[in-house]
Amino acid sequence: MRSELERLQLIEQRLLRTPAALPAEEWQLRQLFDGELRADAAAQWQLYRGLRQAGRHQLRQELAAIHAGLYPRPFGWWPQQAHRLSGWLGWLFSF
Amino acid sequence: MTSPSRPSFAAALREALLANRAQALTQLYRQGFPMVRRYVCRHGGSEQDAQDVFQDALVVLYEQAVGGTLVLTAAASTYLVGTSRNLWHHELRRRARLPQQPLPDADLAAADAPPDTDGAGFAVLDYVERLGEQCKALLLAFYYFGQPLSQIAAARGYRTVRSATVQKFKCLERLRRAVHAVVRPETVEF
Repeated sequence: MRSELERLQLIEQRLLRTPAALPAEEWQLRQLFDGELRADAAAQWQLYRGLRQAGRHQLRQELAAIHAGLYPRPFGWWPQQAHRLSGWLGWLFSF
Repeated sequence: MTSPSRPSFAAALREALLANRAQALTQLYRQGFPMVRRYVCRHGGSEQDAQDVFQDALVVLYEQAVGGTLVLTAAASTYLVGTSRNLWHHELRRRARLPQQPLPDADLAAADAPPDTDGAGFAVLDYVERLGEQCKALLLAFYYFGQPLSQIAAARGYRTVRSATVQKFKCLERLRRAVHAVVRPETVEF
């Protein structure tokens, strides 16, 4: 894996507290020698927050689709028919 | 999925959600929504209100289940009804305070999320949408829907888990680069 990706992985392990994460002391030490590590970790945390929002958005869409499948609107065709009817009436009264 | 709690019940629900999300959610919906609709409609709400609070409750349930923090002391449908009732009472109190303001999207489900003080989350959300379907689906499957990389690899045709892992980080890197120019990271202690 490229070094940029390995860095993302290293930060991810820390942020998501996976078993492979560096111990706290070693992480602190790395921050001393790598001036951008703290800012990069903060930026990556923002990515995870954005992905969480995007995931919620998608889940809500899936739930709306499930709802529509389980409880179809009995008169869902009505606005379309009403629009068509108003067109016919307009045509009829134009004479 | 409907029997009352056993120690492994939350884990079984998690497995069901990860194995076939649409099927598991549809079953939960079918079991829980009629009760929530009845309750909300009898307590000053509409069909749409019932739909909103029930879906918020399902989002909470999903996130807790896949996050491994769900504690079930009853059937999942009972949990959903209880959560929906709480959310509806919360909404009624909010409406009594602010009668003219509509409910913001995902307000209730976001209750456990850290406050998004700088709007950065919304900026990232825009860039997630622009990632392309493959990357977006891969990142959401792992980071939000909680699917293990082995499952993602099998479902999306990666030869190995390692290939899926590398692709996930490539997609994350693309997102990072896209967002980098517009988002100022907060100072957070890790």
